[in-house]
Amino acid sequence: MQPQTIWQRMLSIDRRWLYAILFVNIVVFLLSPVRLRAPISPPVQKFYDEIESLRPGDLVMISSNWSASTLAENQPQLEAVLKHLMRKGVHFTFISIEAQSRDISLRLAKRLTEEAGYEYGKQWAHFGFVPNLIVAIKGMVNDLPATIKQDVTGTPIQQLPVTKGVKSLKDYKMVIDITPSGTVPIWISYSPKEVRILYCPTSVMAAEAYTYLDSGQVKGMITGAKGAQEYEQLLGITGLGAPFANAISFSHVLIIFFILLGNFALLMQRLHERREG
Amino acid sequence: MDWFMEFLPRTPERLGIWIGVICTLAIYSLLYRENPFYRFFEHMYIGLAAGYSLGPLGVDVLYRYWVEPIWVQGYWAWAFVVPYGMYLYFIFSERYGWISRIVIGTLIGASAGLFFQEFSSRYLPQLNSTLQKPLWLSSANPDLTVSMVINNFLFVIILLSVLTYFTFSYEQRGGVKRFATLGRWFLMIGLGAIFGNTVMARMGLLIGRIYYILNDWLMIPIGGAQ
Repeated sequence: MQPQTIWQRMLSIDRRWLYAILFVNIVVFLLSPVRLRAPISPPVQKFYDEIESLRPGDLVMISSNWSASTLAENQPQLEAVLKHLMRKGVHFTFISIEAQSRDISLRLAKRLTEEAGYEYGKQWAHFGFVPNLIVAIKGMVNDLPATIKQDVTGTPIQQLPVTKGVKSLKDYKMVIDITPSGTVPIWISYSPKEVRILYCPTSVMAAEAYTYLDSGQVKGMITGAKGAQEYEQLLGITGLGAPFANAISFSHVLIIFFILLGNFALLMQRLHERREG
Repeated sequence: MDWFMEFLPRTPERLGIWIGVICTLAIYSLLYRENPFYRFFEHMYIGLAAGYSLGPLGVDVLYRYWVEPIWVQGYWAWAFVVPYGMYLYFIFSERYGWISRIVIGTLIGASAGLFFQEFSSRYLPQLNSTLQKPLWLSSANPDLTVSMVINNFLFVIILLSVLTYFTFSYEQRGGVKRFATLGRWFLMIGLGAIFGNTVMARMGLLIGRIYYILNDWLMIPIGGAQ
């Protein structure tokens, strides 16, 4: 049996080693204090400008539809956006069409609002889980209190100071959709035209949203963890976006390196075989 | 010593985190090889996810929109709604399967009606935006720059070539075929960009789990998180 060449050994490397290297790479760059600066992309800048244009006391609907599986992308987005809204003194309400997201967004919002001194019921509220977004939006446009009825604590929403006097979704200034699913076309299709729509998708969903950005149907977008990192830079805060985007960037570098190395080894092996006849 | 005492699963919250970490490691053990540990947790995850959604469904939907209106507010007519929806399950019966078609018909009718609104709100503004793209510099658009004009030209060429690629009503020949091929290339570039984003999203999933292990379980603060 002929001894294996270095190129053959490289091509037959156990893929579990690659997984292990990837794991170590992510751990190192998550823990690393090195923070790369990201250039601010136009959709993120537009997002920021839209929230900057809000006045204290304006009402915003946050549609939070993500669960634990997309935590790395949607949590930094939600944290950064909430911090910005609270800095501006904007009031907000949550709605979830994802059962898990109801509790995840509620827990996260409770922690952040407590830190900022925001009062539940007075400055923010959570409407809980709704199973059908189209029906919910159409209902909220016609009669919001009759559609939502009560918040997660069981309080009728007319009794909550934050939503007192709110009759319809038209009374909101903005909808922010934080989601790994294709929910933004539903908000675009059924919400009132005067309500501005901002979008926080996971990276995989972002490419499809550029048509909506181009047509102005979506006013701004934060794409995944990278977008959150840019947003944190605009806000001047340290959040999860920067370490997550760091880890993602360097895992991409590693994957590209593996691809180049694999192709190079394949090429060299073929040359070697040709020389050997 | 304090760290170790805090690390141990001595409180319900810590116990939950420990179970979460065990589940995570069990699911990722598939990367090493197929094993019964992974299989058990995979089935448990599917069962838990389905069971979990029943809680919010019962509290936030069935109680709020069905039980309470009937029992507290006295809107007894709502009593027929859920049984009507459940007619859908007759689809499993050979003899009474026709009953499910009544519910399916309602759903199709509602969806078709909703689609009219969706089409006008979702696609017409895009069509409008495309038709309004200025393709040359003029005094009517003082803010327009050369780069924006080039961008608009690219947009229109890509749009027309991709639409040509999807025109199957006649055989494409000569210049039309070449233009359609150009459209196919643009499509490939678009799909490549989407796939690049997919890889980024998948890395995001892994990073989310590693963050959970480091931040929540090992209590190593990351990015100013609590």
